[in-house]
Amino acid sequence: MKINGVAIADTFAEAFTMRVARIVITGRTAKWAREAAIKLTGFATSVIGCKCEAGIERELTPAETPDERPGISVLFFTMDKQSLPEQLIVRLGQTVLTCPTTACFDGLPDAPDRLAVGRALRVFGDGFQASKVIGGKRYWRLPVMEGEFLIEETFGMLKGVGGGNFLILADDADAALAAAEAAVDAMTSLPGVILPFPGGVVRSGSKVGSTRYKNMVATTNDPFDPTLRASTQSQLPEGVNSVLEIVLDGTDAPSIEAAMRTGITAACRRGVNTITAANFGGKLGPHHFHLRKILA
Amino acid sequence: MSDAVTLSLAEPPVHALVADCIAADRLAGLDAKQIAQLPVVHGGRPGALGDFFKVRGGRSSVVRIEGDLPQVEAIGASMAGGELTIDGSVGRDVGIAMSGGRIDVRGHAGDNAGGARAGAARGMTGGEIIVRGNVGDEAGARMRRGILAVTGDGGRGTGIGMIAGTVVVLGQAGPGAGRFLKRGSIVALGPMDRPATFRYACTYRPPHVGLLLRYLRGHAGVPIADRYVVGRYARYAGDLAELGKGEILQWAGE
Repeated sequence: MKINGVAIADTFAEAFTMRVARIVITGRTAKWAREAAIKLTGFATSVIGCKCEAGIERELTPAETPDERPGISVLFFTMDKQSLPEQLIVRLGQTVLTCPTTACFDGLPDAPDRLAVGRALRVFGDGFQASKVIGGKRYWRLPVMEGEFLIEETFGMLKGVGGGNFLILADDADAALAAAEAAVDAMTSLPGVILPFPGGVVRSGSKVGSTRYKNMVATTNDPFDPTLRASTQSQLPEGVNSVLEIVLDGTDAPSIEAAMRTGITAACRRGVNTITAANFGGKLGPHHFHLRKILA
Repeated sequence: MSDAVTLSLAEPPVHALVADCIAADRLAGLDAKQIAQLPVVHGGRPGALGDFFKVRGGRSSVVRIEGDLPQVEAIGASMAGGELTIDGSVGRDVGIAMSGGRIDVRGHAGDNAGGARAGAARGMTGGEIIVRGNVGDEAGARMRRGILAVTGDGGRGTGIGMIAGTVVVLGQAGPGAGRFLKRGSIVALGPMDRPATFRYACTYRPPHVGLLLRYLRGHAGVPIADRYVVGRYARYAGDLAELGKGEILQWAGE
């Protein structure tokens, strides 16, 4: 199978089940909502080192937010139920609470699993906090030096999908980067999906474990490292000199599929040799995204 | 089961009519005949709801009352859910000790709207009351939770002794509003005489007020101008003769 002359490998991306929350941050202006969202999603590229994965899903217009102010929707992922509220409490408390003008709302109101994140953060008010029930939802008002910070008491949690991916195998680093940027541009703001890595792109794809260091959870994906072509069992076709990976987390499998279809199609451009995907033989996760099936 | 229960005033009461049997959640389990047999007290004498109202429909938690009812008291008392709309004015004690649902009064309401039963420590503990007119004295008295919104003026002692919850007055709040407030908020969009035991804190844009007013405008159709929704409010903390964790938020302009 080829798209625009780019080979689509007959393989699949292997993804796993995660827990996801959607956080809606609003601010007096879009700038301040974004400032908070950027800090909230900082150092949240991979559960391997960051214990969570997060990213901006999309910008929200005032008509789409509870307080009719500009907003940002953030998706937040962890591997288990327990660590999601832990991460949210720490991160929201240090980033959104601290950011001028912002308020924080639940973006998954229909999710039956509720995380009492706002309830935990209320104690920052040192007894001066107050709650309000509006439309059946409880909000906490935390006094801060600027005025008040408003946060919803609970946030919904769903089962999501983490680790959707595809690899761009290109003639050189410039072509790989241009293709990756095109893919990210096409996938940005698609509903239900985030790209947690810097600019949505990963240069240091990893394999599970290490051939040399026992305590390493993940190490360089040497079969796809062009500099190791001569010294490892390379999987790179002839002429490939640079590889970049796009990693996706989503609220469900169809969202990931739709985003992969859009992103791969955009990445199939001049200078790209092959699009492939990372998997672990089907042993790691229950979600398998077959590239050719998605693109058919 | 019908879409709604409609009670039409057929025989206007001569004396005060205590109709605390009318609550949307209670009527949801009854047919028209059973509703007509519900007990009322007219001038101190027992009677039946059907003596005064024509009942249409049954087994619905959406209730509509047609007629002007200034003599009818305690409608929606202890209501825990459903929607109750009154197409006209009502007497005292509407929604006393209510815990859920919404009461929409398309007229004025008498004293003690959303308040407490005589001798009770708590008034409303949940739900929403919208009064599209004026309320009598001591509306929202001893409220523990919930929302009371008044598009007209409040009487004397609006929100007196509130434990928590929110009272919004779009018109003028009467004298003594918020006296003995423990917690809770009185949002005054119009002028009011504050008790001396409230102390000024600051003027700011409280995020929850915008959210609340937008909710009332969007979900309950309460006409609230943008200048109030996005406006600045002067915060007065009180009642300092009590716990002092309550507040009066008075609109201070855009």
